[in-house]
Amino acid sequence: MTDMAASVARFTAMGTRVELHLFGCDDPAPLAAAKAAILSVEDALTIHHPSPATALNDALSTDGTATVEDRLLFAALLQVDALWRETGGLFDPSLGHWSALTIDRTNRRVSTARPLTLDFGGFGKGYALDHAVTALLAMGVGSALLSAGESSIAVLGPHPLGGGWPLAVPHPEDEGAWLVELELQDASLSISSTIGAGAAKPDRAAMIRPTDGAIVTTPATAVAAAATGAEAEALSTALLVADPAARERLRAAAPDRRFLFPHAAPVGAKRALEPTA
Amino acid sequence: MTDDDFALSRRTFLDRVLLASAGLGMSTAAPWAARAAEDIPKGQRVRIGVIGTGDRGRTLIQNLNKTRNCTVAALCDTFEPHMAKARAYVPANTPVFTDHRKMLEAREIDAVVIATPLDLHARQTIDALDAGYPVFCEKAMARTIADCSAMVTRARQRGKILQIGHQRLFNPTYLNALKRAQAGEIGPITQIRASWHRNRSWRRQIPPGGTEREINWRLHRDRSAGLMTELATHQLQVANWFMGGLPTRVMGSGSICFWKDGRDVYDQVALIYDYSDGRKVIYTSMLNNARYGCEEQIQGSKGTIEPELGRIYQEVQPGAVPALARMRADVQAGRKNTVPIGGATWFPELPVTTPGDSLGWGEYDETMLQFEGFGEAVRSGKEVPGLLAQAYHASVASLLGEQAIDQGKALAWPTDLVTF
Repeated sequence: MTDMAASVARFTAMGTRVELHLFGCDDPAPLAAAKAAILSVEDALTIHHPSPATALNDALSTDGTATVEDRLLFAALLQVDALWRETGGLFDPSLGHWSALTIDRTNRRVSTARPLTLDFGGFGKGYALDHAVTALLAMGVGSALLSAGESSIAVLGPHPLGGGWPLAVPHPEDEGAWLVELELQDASLSISSTIGAGAAKPDRAAMIRPTDGAIVTTPATAVAAAATGAEAEALSTALLVADPAARERLRAAAPDRRFLFPHAAPVGAKRALEPTA
Repeated sequence: MTDDDFALSRRTFLDRVLLASAGLGMSTAAPWAARAAEDIPKGQRVRIGVIGTGDRGRTLIQNLNKTRNCTVAALCDTFEPHMAKARAYVPANTPVFTDHRKMLEAREIDAVVIATPLDLHARQTIDALDAGYPVFCEKAMARTIADCSAMVTRARQRGKILQIGHQRLFNPTYLNALKRAQAGEIGPITQIRASWHRNRSWRRQIPPGGTEREINWRLHRDRSAGLMTELATHQLQVANWFMGGLPTRVMGSGSICFWKDGRDVYDQVALIYDYSDGRKVIYTSMLNNARYGCEEQIQGSKGTIEPELGRIYQEVQPGAVPALARMRADVQAGRKNTVPIGGATWFPELPVTTPGDSLGWGEYDETMLQFEGFGEAVRSGKEVPGLLAQAYHASVASLLGEQAIDQGKALAWPTDLVTF
């Protein structure tokens, strides 16, 4: 059973519980490296205590400009910029003001034409898992499942028993029922929902459609699988807040990996349901 | 309770105090406890003259009667109905006075206990010290910080014992809580939320012969700081004690919010006391909702202590994700099953309702123990160590809080206080 041996880390980060399950690896070093990678991302992107992100927000909230020295934060900004474009502005950690932002890649300068602040939110979890996966790959880990708050999941390599990782997204209100089942390998999964226990957290930020500022309250769950956690997070958020036309455009690009489930819909589906929200 | 029962329960209580105060660092944090719990040598009882025979004064008399080294030898009160009730607790031939100076001049006592309205504490304490008597005065010490300082200074000048009543300092549950906090069980303490919430007016019916200012002195600003001196003082003492230091500044707000009955002290207060390294005590008190009662929530990185409830709670680490635990078991068993996972992000930041563990040891007669400690201090001429500083700083904290509320600004901890 040596090749089945699993090592696990459980800890709190980014305001939620994180679990790292490594298979075929008894060495504690990869787990430690993956945890350190996640905590480093948290330190860079958090807005809940002083961080490179809060320093940047201080500058941007006054029409300012700043040089971003932090490597993780600057890389995150570049990735967000690409995802903002990919989602037609529906993923926007500045709540609709990203177009005011200018990023000078050469000099690592970020400027804004209007006051704004950034909240990386769920993107941070996916981005952190990406860095953990990179750390695990660098240390030779061949099979792992990582979870950040159960809304962000990354799988590395094949399932320890071979093939992809069979994952099912539970219905948030109907215990035992699934919204969708997916088999993933070297991929990330993100789930965004307007309902469920986590969504009921008293001070949870509202889901806002960046393109018009509308608060999205329609009961729905968005599921997106992608090559990276950052992309999956951006897409699940975009799917949840998009209007029907925009949502269909996003889904059409990868209909077997992008889903939106309005909760009037039947449950237990093995395939994507048509978006109706 | 028979004498034997009393002796047995007293011994149990003292054993608990001794046990609780025996921990690492406790001789510094609670140096009075072990000494107060020592066996009391045989000898003449200390004759106590009690000034003030209202509700609190009579409670003190009953506790003095329980001690093995004190006896109530004189009573003093200007209000006859209170005096009449107090006489029921002392021998019929106990001298009574209406003027505390006459009681002091009679020279029939060894020490004085003061349980009068707050504005009288300083004058009566200083008179007693000047007359050569050790003094036990109920908290809060005095109506002003200057008077608190004057009481300490005069006690030193006269070389006499001054002890202030703060019964939690002798409560074995609190001592045990402090011991466990000092042992690191709840990690570094960074915040204490303390509250004393009641749902009653605090107004007392004025008996025949009484006056509003005599009976309802707590409701009048020239006599009392209300919630701050009568209630908050207790908990600010606990806060200083568990923080192991003093506030650096205080800010607050107060109002007469509900009981608009002519009182001029606040019926609702909310304050923040800053301590070193960013630590805070958040204090609230009110008189029209008792849901959260009286409690100090002493919070560290590893746990929380609630001494009034007698509970200690460990921080709850997130449990394993059940679906992932099943996945691990499945893999170990050679099964490849679908892993049901995903939804709105799991958040831990909802109130935790775990029951915690008992701190043990319910209340006993900590007020009695204070007096036994006072009696031994009078006999030996050596004060019970550490008590006066605790009481003085608690009173200063409460009065500084009142000033911060009145002035609507943050006030720094005074730099001209008596040092210990």
